[in-house]
Amino acid sequence: MRLPDGLVAVVKRECPTCVLVEPVLRELGAEVWCQDDAGWFEHDDTELELSYRLGIETVPTLLRIQDGEETARVVGWSREQWEALTGVPSLGADLPEHRPGCGSLSVDPFRIDALEARYGGSGLGSRRVELADLEDEHEAMFDRGWTDGLPVVPPTLERVLRMLRGTTRAPGDVVAVVPPDLVECTVEKVAVNAVMAGCLPEHLPVVLAALEAACTEEFALHGLLATTYFSGPMIVVNGPIARRIGMNSGVNALGQGNRANATIGRALQLVVRNVGGGRPGGIDRATLGNPGKLTSCFAEREEGSPFAPLAADRGVPGDAVTLFAGSGVQPVVDQLSRTPESLARSFAACLRVNGHPKLPLSFDAVLVVSPEHGRVFREAGWDRARLVAEIEGLLTLDADELVRGAGGITEGVPEALAGRKLPKFRPGGLLVVHAGGDAGLFSAVVGGWVSGTTGSSPVTREVRA
Amino acid sequence: MHDIADLERRGVVGVFLASEVFADAARLQGAALGFPAPFVLVPHPVQDRTDAELRAAAEGAYAAVVAAVTAGGGAA
Amino acid sequence: MRTVLDPTGEQQASVRELLPRPASLRGRTVGLLDISKPRGDVVLDRLEELLAAGGAVVRRYRKPTFTRTAPVDLRHEIAEQCEVVIEALAD
Repeated sequence: MRLPDGLVAVVKRECPTCVLVEPVLRELGAEVWCQDDAGWFEHDDTELELSYRLGIETVPTLLRIQDGEETARVVGWSREQWEALTGVPSLGADLPEHRPGCGSLSVDPFRIDALEARYGGSGLGSRRVELADLEDEHEAMFDRGWTDGLPVVPPTLERVLRMLRGTTRAPGDVVAVVPPDLVECTVEKVAVNAVMAGCLPEHLPVVLAALEAACTEEFALHGLLATTYFSGPMIVVNGPIARRIGMNSGVNALGQGNRANATIGRALQLVVRNVGGGRPGGIDRATLGNPGKLTSCFAEREEGSPFAPLAADRGVPGDAVTLFAGSGVQPVVDQLSRTPESLARSFAACLRVNGHPKLPLSFDAVLVVSPEHGRVFREAGWDRARLVAEIEGLLTLDADELVRGAGGITEGVPEALAGRKLPKFRPGGLLVVHAGGDAGLFSAVVGGWVSGTTGSSPVTREVRA
Repeated sequence: MHDIADLERRGVVGVFLASEVFADAARLQGAALGFPAPFVLVPHPVQDRTDAELRAAAEGAYAAVVAAVTAGGGAA
Repeated sequence: MRTVLDPTGEQQASVRELLPRPASLRGRTVGLLDISKPRGDVVLDRLEELLAAGGAVVRRYRKPTFTRTAPVDLRHEIAEQCEVVIEALAD
C-alpha cells in the first residue's frame, strides 16, 4: 500500500496518550489509522497490516511521508518533537509537554506470529499443503503418514515461525543429513516436526543438538533404524538448560507427564520418520521395538549427584545432549545394601543379563542410578569412574561359563574362547547417569544395541542457542 | 465415499459406483475430503429401470470398475 | 482453507494417495458392498457374475443404510476378508 505524502499516524483507542492527542491529529489533518476501533478515525487498521508493514512498536506513531517514503517518525507525545516533525508551532496548547505512548498491537506477542505468517513473506521454503474443506486436520496428518500413531499439532506457518524463535540459527541452515533416505534436514524442517511433536520454542535447541548427535557416523542411526533389535535413540540432557526449559530429572524421570521430556524425544523421532523416511515396516524392521521409540528423553539430576555431569565426563561441559541406542528400561531392586561394594555387586548382577547373561562384549548399557542409591556412593566418595571400574571388575567373566552349551544353553560364545576371561562391557560401553525421585531404593538398566563399530556408540554434543 | 476412504486406510483397494447425477457431488466430496476416491458412473435413473436395463448398466460399467482397482486396467 | 507446512523431506507427494493397485483381479478377493438403495442389488448381482467369470473371488456385504457410513465392524470385516472393494449404488 502506498501512503499519501504528508502526515500519517497510527493510534489505538485503548491508549490514553492516543486519546490525548486526538484533537491535535484532527487539527493537523493527518491520515490516521486506528488499530482497535475501525470507526474512530477515517482509516481502519484493525487487521494490523499497515502497523506490521511500517514496523510500528508504539502508539501513537506520527510519520512524515514524502514521495511515498517515510522521512521522519516520532513515537508517543512530545510537543517539541511533534512541532519539529510537522513544522507547526504551538501544538496542543492545553496538553502536557510530554506523555509516553503505549505498545502497538502489532508487536503483541500473541499476535506477532500470525502477522508475520500473513504479511511477513516468511522466507520458509517448505511446501505448503492445503487441507481440504471437509478434512479433519488431525485425520489429515494421519492420512499423509506424518504421525507416529498419536495425534500431532498441525504445523501451520504461524506455529512454525513461533517455533523458530527458539533458535538463533537460520531456517535454511542444514542441521544434519538424516538417514535412511539421507535427506539434508534444515532448521526449518526440524521446527516443523517439533511443532507437530508438541514442543515449545525453547525446546528447539535441544532437538537440534539431538538430531546432530543422532546423525553422526558413530551413532549409526541408519543401522539402528533398520535393525530387528529393540533399540531407538534415547536422549540424556545435561546443563542448566534442562531446568530452564522445564525438563524432568526427578520423580518419574523416565516416564510420562513432562512436556519437555516427552516432546523433545518425540520430535527427534518425527524428524527421522518424516524427513529421513525411517518408518516401521519400511526400513524399520524391529521385531518388537520398545515404547521408548515414541519418545525417550530425560535430564540428568545433577544436583546431589555423586557423579560429575555425564556430558562433562564425556568432554562436553555445560548444556549438552548424549544420545544412546536405548532398548527399554529394566528395574534394579536393592533395598538392603548400605555399602558401595554391596550395591555395585547388585548392579553388576543385574547388568550381567543385559541382552543375555552368556553374551559378553555385545551390548552397551546405561545404568540410571537413583538418588537413594546415589547417596551410598556419594557418602563413600565414589565417582563415576570408580563405580564403573568396580562393575567392570565384577563383570570380567569366566568364558567357560559362557561358551555354547554351558549351563544347558546353546546360546553363548564360541568354544575356542574357553579358558579366557571376557569383559561383559567393552571399554566405554557402560554409561552411568543419576536421575529419579527422592524416594525409592531402585535404579534402572537401559540396555543398548550392538556396540562399537558394528553398531552404535553413544554420542555427546553441545546444545547451542 | 467415506467408506472407500476408510477402507483404503485399512488397506483395501476401493471404488464406488454412482449414477450420473452424482458426478459433481462425488468430485466435490473427493476434493473436500482430500482423498481422490475413484468412482464409476452409471446412467441415471436407477430405481425405475427394468432388470435387463440394470444388468446392461452393470455390463457397461464393468471395464471402468476393473480399471479403477487394477494397475494394468485390463479385464479381471 | 487451512495450510500446513510439509514436514517431510519432500521426496514424495504431499496428498493422500490411493493404495497401489493389483495387476489384475484374477484370484483376488473382491467385496461387493451394497449401500442398501432399492434396485442396487440387481447391478451388483450382474457385477458379481462378471467378476466371477474373470477369476475373482466375490464376497457380498450390505450396510444397513445408505445414509450413514458403514458400521466399524462391517468395515473391519471387509478389510479382513477382501483385497478390493466395490461399493454401489448411489443414485
